[in-house]
Amino acid sequence: MENLYPPIVDGKSVYDLNSQKYLKMWHGPQHPGVTGNMSLELDICGDQVIKCNTHVGYLHRGFEKLMERRRYINCFPIVCRICVPEPDTNEYLFAAAMEDLMGIEIPERAKWLRTLNLELSRLASFLMWIGGQSGAFGMGTVAQWTMAHRDFVLDLFEEWTGARIYHMYTIPGGVRGDLPEGWDKRAEKTIAAVHKLLDEINYVMLNNAIFKQRAVGLGVITPEMVDAYGVVGPNARCCGLQRDIRKDQPYLIYDQLDFIIETETAGDAYSRTVVRWKEMYQSIALIRQILAKMPRSGALHATLPNVLHLKIPKGQTYLRAESTRGEYGYFMVSDGSAFPRKVTVRGPSYTHAMALLEDLAVGVNIADLPGLMVSLHTYPPEIER
Amino acid sequence: MKKLYDILSLQFELADFESKRSDLAFCKVKASQAISLLTHLRDIHGYTHLVMLTCVDWLEDKQFQLTYLLHNYATKTDLGILVFIDRDHPVMDSLHHLWKQGRVYQRELHEMFGIDFPGSPGVEEPMILEGWQGPPPMRRDFDTKAYSDETYSHRPRVQNEPEQHMKEQLYSED
Amino acid sequence: MNLRDILSPFFVWKRAFEKPYSINTLSAPRPGAPAYRGFHKNDVSKCIGCGTCAEICQNVSIEMVPVATAKDGDSGLRPKIDYGRCCWCALCVDICPSGSLTMSNAYTWVEEGLDKDVRDTFCYTPGVDSKPWDNEPLGYKKPDGYELLLLDRIPMPHLSPEERLSSFVELVKGYSRELAIREADRCIQCGICTATCPAHMNIPAYIKAIREDNIAAGLQILYDTNPLPGVCGRICTRLCEDVCALSHRGDAISIRWLKRYLTDCVEAEDYKDILKTEIKPLGKKVGIIGSGPGGLSAAYYLANMGYEVDIFEKTAAAGGMLRYGIPEYRLPYDKIDKDIDFITSLGVKIHYNTCVGKDISFDDIYKRYDAVFISTGLFEPYFIGIKGEDNEGVISGLKLLSDVTEGKEVSLGKHVVVVGGGNVAMDAARTARRLGSEVTILYRRRDEDMPADREEIDEAYEENVTFITQAIPLEINKLADNRLEFIWGKAEMHFEEGAKRPQPVLIEGSRETLVADTIIAAIGQGMNFAWMDGEAFANIKFGKWNIDADRWGRSSDQKIFIGGDMFNRTADAITAIADGHRSARAIDKLLNQ
Repeated sequence: MENLYPPIVDGKSVYDLNSQKYLKMWHGPQHPGVTGNMSLELDICGDQVIKCNTHVGYLHRGFEKLMERRRYINCFPIVCRICVPEPDTNEYLFAAAMEDLMGIEIPERAKWLRTLNLELSRLASFLMWIGGQSGAFGMGTVAQWTMAHRDFVLDLFEEWTGARIYHMYTIPGGVRGDLPEGWDKRAEKTIAAVHKLLDEINYVMLNNAIFKQRAVGLGVITPEMVDAYGVVGPNARCCGLQRDIRKDQPYLIYDQLDFIIETETAGDAYSRTVVRWKEMYQSIALIRQILAKMPRSGALHATLPNVLHLKIPKGQTYLRAESTRGEYGYFMVSDGSAFPRKVTVRGPSYTHAMALLEDLAVGVNIADLPGLMVSLHTYPPEIER
Repeated sequence: MKKLYDILSLQFELADFESKRSDLAFCKVKASQAISLLTHLRDIHGYTHLVMLTCVDWLEDKQFQLTYLLHNYATKTDLGILVFIDRDHPVMDSLHHLWKQGRVYQRELHEMFGIDFPGSPGVEEPMILEGWQGPPPMRRDFDTKAYSDETYSHRPRVQNEPEQHMKEQLYSED
Repeated sequence: MNLRDILSPFFVWKRAFEKPYSINTLSAPRPGAPAYRGFHKNDVSKCIGCGTCAEICQNVSIEMVPVATAKDGDSGLRPKIDYGRCCWCALCVDICPSGSLTMSNAYTWVEEGLDKDVRDTFCYTPGVDSKPWDNEPLGYKKPDGYELLLLDRIPMPHLSPEERLSSFVELVKGYSRELAIREADRCIQCGICTATCPAHMNIPAYIKAIREDNIAAGLQILYDTNPLPGVCGRICTRLCEDVCALSHRGDAISIRWLKRYLTDCVEAEDYKDILKTEIKPLGKKVGIIGSGPGGLSAAYYLANMGYEVDIFEKTAAAGGMLRYGIPEYRLPYDKIDKDIDFITSLGVKIHYNTCVGKDISFDDIYKRYDAVFISTGLFEPYFIGIKGEDNEGVISGLKLLSDVTEGKEVSLGKHVVVVGGGNVAMDAARTARRLGSEVTILYRRRDEDMPADREEIDEAYEENVTFITQAIPLEINKLADNRLEFIWGKAEMHFEEGAKRPQPVLIEGSRETLVADTIIAAIGQGMNFAWMDGEAFANIKFGKWNIDADRWGRSSDQKIFIGGDMFNRTADAITAIADGHRSARAIDKLLNQ
């Protein structure tokens, strides 16, 4: 394989596309996998990728710029759109960053409900990711199952928050409303079904010869690469690093919950799949714990100043939370006016889908490329906020 | 965090230490020393994780505030290094050799704010805005509303303010 | 790879026999969840068109459009929602001050007719344009336990009832800077109040000035429409607060106390610098009869326009009812003086102790001035109209209040009965309490029908005034020990269709007795025109009970204008101020254009 690579001159590979040995190919932008619109510019030799350039911008909606000309409360309905499968992390971080700058403490019950919201959305996001991961390796049936179960989770969200995708539940100051009557029972029924599905996925996917054949050894991340590329979340845990913000810098009420950090050691696509699969069990256990321990009475929302004239004192802060893809962060700068001076969203996909993917893709068979991409669990709107 | 700041102050020209929380602090450094400070923090003090690099446009002060946020996994603390550069001639040293994702951040800042990072690979390639003709759009003097009004057509609408409307309806003669 | 990996996927073959997940929505439509955020509904009878929904909508998807029906405290606008922009965040529902806006759980809408105006495609005004989901009971409503508006008023510090009874010290202490800013922060700036205020004061603007701690700008805004803000900040009837958008689900903004805060913040000597009055004399003269709020207001605006203004006042001090009809604990005299002194500092001359018709004739004034503004107010107390009313010890409420103002020795005795349920009755009763008497108020209708401010009634209760309602006075007899026997009968309420208040009807044979040292009649006042004479008097046309005048206060003689209590129906200070301002503009139009 080594001889396929073109010669490197002055740090750049030089090859002649007219030699007919190489082919330039565009992968995307229409949904390579199910992660969103993004395009990979590939140079291939045979079916081997020898160079990968990522192109983003197909989903650019300029959230950070939009926020600069909106009142804080008016930013609240747009932040969730930065990540479709898991919007609640954005809602939580935006609200938390505001509360941090204003020095507001939210009520205890709101913290529990926020945590429940985050865990449930992690579960929904993971279910969508399994669909992508299995689909990318030709196992469309598993994708159907998980997407259906994701919809069952969305039913729970719909009943609880009034919307399926963009819940807009975690409002600055607290949460919007309580759980409906009998929601716990229906939640238990749904997560029990997800639990059963995960057991089956163990048979049909993780112990599947085809899946193993293609995922083992694909896109290996070594521990040395983790900090050099800014790798976070399951992608870092798959090579043995015990890193989870929920444990390291506990936010909300994660310090009162019992869970472990799931890790693997191989660092390839297969171990990333296993890490996430195990984390889903953790999420299910966490949801059950929260429902069992949660206080059932008390305030839901702290009293904010009038949101129509709300001004936040000058200052800057950074808050992070563990999303399904790893560290999600909001850097918020206030200049004392009614509008945020700057909100920077640090999405985990930013590092995973650009610098890391470009290097991991080299040498990969083109048929495995979607699988590799999905195994990094990238999501383009986080890149081009 | 203050301790670390005091140690670093011996070697670098730091200013304006601000402790936001027990695990988050910000401080300012001269642009010429920033990259060596970052290298120092990464290699000596365990701040191995570059969380993000972003820019805040202080239009009134004619300055860009570059924020390098570093995380130390051992002490679980974050340190934000603020570098102020001239807004009219925005040039900054590149950190692509320290972190692989650095070049992506710098490419974005070049595109969105027009900041140059000489030596950063592909810094001049368009990242998100292929074919964009206008000024760097994240600068505060780029007015998105004016741009959208010029570029797109809107559904016509009339906004009636209750106060004005009631005046016209109820007591316009007064 | 081992054999297990090849066989294990077949473990789940049984799924092939399970029920499919998909559902057929064509044959059985799937309704949204009970609290689903679907298309909007609006209870238009509750909606006040304040536009707060449009204000908070981050997508600018709400347009306020005029509709035909408008009630009191209603702008007549209704939200029209553009579903090409709406993102269903429901912040509009959460912030709706009247609670009229909700959402249904309907989420499908097929728009028919592509030939529609582009402005109406996928746009509708909920509650006005009918939609299939209008009567859908399910859907998103503002959840309990969470509130974006600040519905609770910042409490105003008061003197305790015990402290109050020992003196005539002002009982409302006033907001501090911090409290005032917090109260001002509650305002949503809809501007509904501006239309209701008789003077159309720009209330949202001065509340904004308080919020931004810009006192000077706030004071300038006050003086644009009201030259007695210190007075109104204390005793205004605050019709604005009745229609405040926040009053629908919570407490109205304390508009009155905020106005008071603004004037209290500025020292009298700084008024001139802040208000920057530059007067260019026009060389024309206007005479004003009566120095109550109407006369003072007209004087202020006329003086500002450059007219030479003379006010004729029959008493020794200016202010009219403000001074003689309102007790000091509600409106301290130095606060009246502060406002009046600023008006006189503009060159307005007040001729005290000059009773028109006695010390100077009306005809004289009419001939000397280019225009005359009459605002004499209502100064003739009505009688109860029962036997024994002429006994010594029966006085009018107004007499008591003005005697106290003038510092006369007043002795009421131990037991006082006040007849009436208006503000004068409350003021008289509470003044009597402060003079050491036990007070009973008799009122013809029910407690909730009393025309006095609720606040005054509540404070009277706090000050241990006894209330007897549904009581009709019958007669007064002098007893042997010089005390008075007051006989009254119980009434029952008769509700007639179309009437605002029920009518009290005496229960046949009911006869109760009270013994009192003093009986105070406070059932209203009227006007008289006995002081008028001369050719002008002959020219003016009179209506049934008053001078005929148009809405600008212009009488049939083009030089004569009227305003104040004798002109308007509400008979309060702010309406008189509005009259004065309006007539000042009409006079300017007459003399200067």
